[in-house]
Amino acid sequence: MAVLVRRSNLLVPITDTERVNRAWRNDADAVTLDLEDGVVQTRKAEARGLVKETIALTAKGGAEVFVRVNAALLHADLDASVWPGLRGIVLPRVESAADVAEAIEQTTALERRRGLDVGALELIVLLETARAVWDIRSIITASPRITQVGLDESDLAGDLGITPLPEHDPFVYARGRLVVEATAARVQPIGITYPLGVHPRRLPAAEIHRMATDARNLGMKGVLCADPSWVVPVNDAFTPSADLVAHHKRVREVFASAVAAGTAAVPLDGRMIDVPVDEWAKVVLAMAEACDARDAQKRAAQGGS
Amino acid sequence: MPVVTRRFIDHAWRRGCDFINLDLEDSVPPHLKAHARGLIKGAIPIVRKGGAEAFTRINHDYVHADLEAIVWPGLSKVNYPKAESADEIRLLDAVITRLERERGIRPGTIEIGANIETAKGVAAAYEIASASPRVREFGGGSGYDMSRDLGVEMFVGFEQFAYGKGELELVARALGLQVRAAPFVANTTGSVSDADRAFREAEAARKCGFGLGGGLNPAVVEPQNRGFTPTAEDVEDARWVLERYRELTGTPDTWKVIDGRVIDGYEAARARDTLEWAALCAERDREKAAAVLRTRTAMAEPTSPASGVTRGDA
Repeated sequence: MAVLVRRSNLLVPITDTERVNRAWRNDADAVTLDLEDGVVQTRKAEARGLVKETIALTAKGGAEVFVRVNAALLHADLDASVWPGLRGIVLPRVESAADVAEAIEQTTALERRRGLDVGALELIVLLETARAVWDIRSIITASPRITQVGLDESDLAGDLGITPLPEHDPFVYARGRLVVEATAARVQPIGITYPLGVHPRRLPAAEIHRMATDARNLGMKGVLCADPSWVVPVNDAFTPSADLVAHHKRVREVFASAVAAGTAAVPLDGRMIDVPVDEWAKVVLAMAEACDARDAQKRAAQGGS
Repeated sequence: MPVVTRRFIDHAWRRGCDFINLDLEDSVPPHLKAHARGLIKGAIPIVRKGGAEAFTRINHDYVHADLEAIVWPGLSKVNYPKAESADEIRLLDAVITRLERERGIRPGTIEIGANIETAKGVAAAYEIASASPRVREFGGGSGYDMSRDLGVEMFVGFEQFAYGKGELELVARALGLQVRAAPFVANTTGSVSDADRAFREAEAARKCGFGLGGGLNPAVVEPQNRGFTPTAEDVEDARWVLERYRELTGTPDTWKVIDGRVIDGYEAARARDTLEWAALCAERDREKAAAVLRTRTAMAEPTSPASGVTRGDA
């Protein structure tokens, strides 16, 4: 089965011309053109008018292109966004399976009308309320179009009525539930560790790398990047390192010799290698290959532009 | 332990374990599964020689063949890996019920250990744990398989499984089952034979009110037993609390403070729990010591300090 490699998804306000024009050079696996929180209320209509022409430009570096729509302006935003070249929609403020169904109904109609394959567009859903976190299962199983799901931690904090302090992560439960329910439903959970999710800002690349690595080790599969400076460390954190690849190759060798010798449990450096450890090594090696392939695609696109 | 490794089976009874889990699953290579199944019946009495209970971990995908081969008198529990639905547990229950009847085992003897090792398992925890009265303890939610399912590296030094562990503990407590859980104790080496760490982890688990351990290397058995058993000071302190609490009877007060410590009904209940758990541990140690003595007498083998049974005589 193909591995979905979408380590970094760079969020760019579509009205910020300079950032939009630069976005294809940022090496993101995906770029999301934002019509929602990144666009002031008075420019929503103007923003909508920019989507169609921006899609091809944004895809130049090999990134998948998404649009984040406004939940309150769903129809107008989808109408402005569903065009060939688009990979999918980032759907914020989802509270129920009915919200998903509503977006899909219109997306399907637009796909038909505009010559896209029906079902071509993916959905990335963002949960922003206690209700949504509680009902995550019915939301993310509402459609096979949903490939990723994340929390919008600042809006969630608002819904919970809390002012989060950087030293106390209030989302341990919500994030854990996200990872477990998404994994159970075979949908990718996305997000970065606290407090960067709730207070997105620029930080040294090493810090971003560390927080993205921790997110990966909580089960996240990628990050919605608030700033272009996040992209490179995030890509790197979600790509198995050379050391890790070497370690897992060794695990596979040691395990194979053990099985040949009649046991599937064998020590290695004080640890115990058995079936799940070998299975995990396979996953990491496959992930490393898939990341290499994705990077090669992007390099080819960037070189050809 | 892999049932196919003869020397593990032969010596395990000397280690002082409360239970021994004979593995047919991940430590047994696919080409040896059939052979391994055939070894369980003979291994059960051997591993019980030191008073340990005998468990068997079966394969998720070979329920029928495995159960036919393992449900024999002397087996206490079937561990079922990667449990993901209540139907799986009901199927196990039905097959075990039939085999108990056919093989002269008192109905309901054999427990089912529903091992939760995937996100799907966590998501269905309540239904799984309530699917059969044979499920008497419940927990987990971390470990190698869970890490693989979530796609995370292990031994990264922070708690990666807070939600799943929490869900399973709540389910166990809501259903009145014994909790199999462990508080987070950082582990960045992944060593399976680190005795110090095993002790610290067991001690932390006991202080959280958990009583079930388990390990992959004989070096962790004794420290784990020690960590789970209340210390002499804990027992003495619990008695002191109960004495002070008794002194309140007949007075108008329901609580008082002695040397900065609150003595009340809650603290008295905790003290009673400690004494009860200490008594259960001591009883289990006496059982094991008696079993070891019987075995050694039968073997006419002199007891030696290297026996590995270190607590029973205390």
